Amino acid sequence: MKTTTIRSALTIMLSTLLLTACSSQNIKDTAGSDNDSNKPIISSNSGTTNGTLGSDGTSKVITSEQDGTNFNYLPGANNDPNNTQDISLAGLSDSSNLLSQRVIYFDYDKAAIRPEYMVLINTHAKLLAKYPNLKMRLEGHADERGSREYNVALSEARSQSVKNIMVAQGPSDNQIRTIGFGEEIPIVRGHNTKSWQKNRRVEIKYDDY
Amino acid sequence: MTNTLIYKFSLTFLLFISSVSAMAELELRISKTSDDGIPIYLANIAGGANGIIEGDLKRSGRFTVIDRSKITNIPAYGSTLNAGAYSNIADYIVRGKPLNGGLEVELTSTSDNAKTIYNISSNSNNRRVAHQAADKIYEKITRERGAFDTRLAYVTVTNKTSDNRMFRLYVSDADGHRPKAILSSRLPVMSPAWSPDAKQLAYVSFEENTSAIYVQNIFTGQKRKISARDGINGAPAWSPDGNRLAMSLSVNGSPDIYIANVNNGQLTRVTTSSAIDTEPSWSGTNSLVFTSNRGGSPQLYRIAASGGTVQRLTFDGKYNSAADIANKKLAYVRGNRGAFNIAIRSLNSSGADTLSNGQLDESPTLSPNGAMVAYTTLKNGDNTLAVVSDNAKARQFLTSPVGDVREPAWSPYLTQ
Repeated sequence: MKTTTIRSALTIMLSTLLLTACSSQNIKDTAGSDNDSNKPIISSNSGTTNGTLGSDGTSKVITSEQDGTNFNYLPGANNDPNNTQDISLAGLSDSSNLLSQRVIYFDYDKAAIRPEYMVLINTHAKLLAKYPNLKMRLEGHADERGSREYNVALSEARSQSVKNIMVAQGPSDNQIRTIGFGEEIPIVRGHNTKSWQKNRRVEIKYDDY
Repeated sequence: MTNTLIYKFSLTFLLFISSVSAMAELELRISKTSDDGIPIYLANIAGGANGIIEGDLKRSGRFTVIDRSKITNIPAYGSTLNAGAYSNIADYIVRGKPLNGGLEVELTSTSDNAKTIYNISSNSNNRRVAHQAADKIYEKITRERGAFDTRLAYVTVTNKTSDNRMFRLYVSDADGHRPKAILSSRLPVMSPAWSPDAKQLAYVSFEENTSAIYVQNIFTGQKRKISARDGINGAPAWSPDGNRLAMSLSVNGSPDIYIANVNNGQLTRVTTSSAIDTEPSWSGTNSLVFTSNRGGSPQLYRIAASGGTVQRLTFDGKYNSAADIANKKLAYVRGNRGAFNIAIRSLNSSGADTLSNGQLDESPTLSPNGAMVAYTTLKNGDNTLAVVSDNAKARQFLTSPVGDVREPAWSPYLTQ
């Protein structure tokens, strides 16, 4: 992945964010951090850079290399807007198309959308707008910290945040259903920062795809 | 479409097999007992009831059970006991014998040789006879009602990160014995809550692929849906009179506290904030304590069941949630510096004590007399149950041989 690609992608993402900010109140908190001193972490080092909150509440930067997995907190290479030209049902099963990416990650105890996910969310929204019979379910999840019913509420707020941004792009309200599963269905088992960031997510699920 | 049909079929099948009770005994491990409690000696009782009574009294954190080797010459039950001879070892001596399928138990004070005899009638669950004897002994000595003859409900999960995951709702005796699964589902089951008569459980199940609140009779298995509105249907809590269920619903936007009449379904709204309001617990016949992040972080608030102004209860720490209330005591989750622990305090004063020492403790539930708290903690990477006395002097773990055990709900006093 080239540094310049990341930079241009970020520029586009951020401008998309600014445009969308006018139509949605859910992203006013896009810094997405608990900690006032923790600015959104955007880096142009090699590898993907992830902004996370440590269990002690301090901010940390973890690169995907240190992470030891292919987990992309940023959408990664597929985030090139050129990949989103083909907004069609076929794109859903094309692994080089951004539509094949269906997971949005969140900061601890936050439902605000991180700016790097705006392109991904808007791309799916455009697909829904193009196919009015297409239906989607947004399944929100939380990490294991904190109490269980609070986490159900938090995870539903996350799926609602994604829905609100999508609806602003044209699809009708009844094409998108939301659900909050709380911390009940983790992707990974571990009890550490790495696992927690993978479990705090909204999964995009199309009814018949 | 085909997938949906298969899914529906398997759900039906699951509900069918769920009526068959799956047994999975929890393993009890005692972490610590009080060494400065009231010293009590339990003589052997034929059939072993003394062992069950010993476990109960130790769990309360209020007793130190004297080692059997310290007194070897106790006269058999029926023979004269000169209790004063043992006053330097124990304050009380318990003897007894099985009687008509039940128990006859004698409690003697070594300070004045005063004797009290209890006759406990037989029960189809033989262990309950011993728990009832322990309740009598506990009440006589502490002047506080015993709560050993009670039950726990809890949720187990196996294969939690795979597609084979299975959630089960269990009911067991309060000491973890005699577990019985009353529901199983491939989709999350959570938040069990006992009715005041201890005959029904309200819980949240995602079995129809959305959240819904059900009420199920634990004896007959009969089950009915109480709320399946759009959005969240969560955190059910029975009113003390058993006629109403407080719950968290997001049908009108952000999650708020509502009260549903269990008999006619009539719904009234309690809170109207744009923040998360959830985890209600009744703090009286007409007031609730609940979790809200309206102040920027999750904290506990109190409100009248009819709504109105809220009173904030917690100020210490960035995360206070999941209140449970019994006998004017309030147990809750307190998050501080990245760790989540169980705290307890009087409902009407603000000083709190920390009862647990794990990293991710949650779901506190008080015994009906407020003397013990069951909660969820982590052991070897899995959720397990712990029971701690309200003075933190005794602690036990109830661990499943497979998977996670969590979300304990301590029953009220049993009526059946």
